[in-house]
Amino acid sequence: MANLLWLQGGACSGNTMSFLNAEEPSACDLVTDFGINILWQPSLGLELGDNVKTILQKCISGEIKLDIFVFEGTVVNAPNGTGEWNRFCGRPMKEWVKELSAAAQFVVAIGDCATYGGIPAMAPNPSESVGMQFMKRAKGGSLGAGFVAKSGLPVINIPGCPAHPDWVTQILVAVATGRAGDLTLDEFHRPKTFFSSFTQTGCTRNMHFAYKVSTTAFGQRKGCLFYDLGCRGPMTHSPCNRILWNRHSSKTRAGMPCLGCTEPEFPFFDLAPGTVFKTQTVMGVPKDMPTGVDKTGYIKLTAAAKGMAPAWAEKDIFVV
Amino acid sequence: MADETLRETIAERLALGLKTEVWPRAETSADVNAIVRRLQVEAKDDLDKKLIIAGFTDHVIVAEGLEQPCETCMYYQVHARFCDLPELMLPVEPNWSCRLWRI
Repeated sequence: MANLLWLQGGACSGNTMSFLNAEEPSACDLVTDFGINILWQPSLGLELGDNVKTILQKCISGEIKLDIFVFEGTVVNAPNGTGEWNRFCGRPMKEWVKELSAAAQFVVAIGDCATYGGIPAMAPNPSESVGMQFMKRAKGGSLGAGFVAKSGLPVINIPGCPAHPDWVTQILVAVATGRAGDLTLDEFHRPKTFFSSFTQTGCTRNMHFAYKVSTTAFGQRKGCLFYDLGCRGPMTHSPCNRILWNRHSSKTRAGMPCLGCTEPEFPFFDLAPGTVFKTQTVMGVPKDMPTGVDKTGYIKLTAAAKGMAPAWAEKDIFVV
Repeated sequence: MADETLRETIAERLALGLKTEVWPRAETSADVNAIVRRLQVEAKDDLDKKLIIAGFTDHVIVAEGLEQPCETCMYYQVHARFCDLPELMLPVEPNWSCRLWRI
């Protein structure tokens, strides 16, 4: 039996909604089949008020063994570093986060807000939000760069806006069943099993990427979304086209550009007007290249591939 | 008008010296957006205005060391010899150029 406590800070509850839609395993399967005891969760917990506070205090004191502490949303520091804008059970949430993290065997940050600050932490960041152990790309965040939980692991980051339910449940199961040793994390503390490949990996529009045929408007089934509509699939680490959403689709399969929500910089360009769903260019060349590709190589490859494009690549064909 | 006829019409106007806004090129995405907005608001279906605002030429323009022919542009459909940018949607030639070129 592994005790799990889940709290929310500066959050929209999107990751909780995603988690509750998990199928294999489902949230119920975590309890019945994998021995996870959910001490409290904002949408599932039965306790209210002082009864919740008692659970938290017992976790901190050690009276209740806290195996997994899950946090969703940013850690709010406003105003002036006090955290008073996000009070929970009688005190700033940031204080609960610090003490519960110190008491837990494993700390798991879920969603882009908890991992890297996400939307609340974009400029001018009025809520003084930070992620659990990162602020965008910079290590540190709320718990500090050197933090490790009792298990010896730093905060395990499962980014996404929201995180896919399978990423959440599979990591929780691994931790709860004693297989945390199998986890390897990348430089941003993301489990490599999910975040080594790109969103583009498995994208059904890859043939259009190869032949440099662009989607020019939403709803088109032809074309690649990278060239004009700002898709970040070629430079975003996620398995969105390997582990499908609702088991059968993804943003790009549905004609929606990848927003790069599993990367620390999300949302890119702080959502400045003209930057969303629009590939940013300098003199006609994309500002952000596919990972590992340089500008000169990109231009040569594109010119050659464009000239080789077969006629079918320019047709509106069904790619889902 | 059929694509072939329209392409010939455009070629003729450019050859006759239609003054288009070749420079400045759209250096940043903000520049691109501004030109596209003008196409939406000012040009609509007016052929001459489309050619002028987009800065069409019947030859390749080189900007900051980059050749910018329709042929390598992301909006160009090789087999149809057609510009697929929604605000233009014009038959073109591979060696033409415009300042909305992107690769």
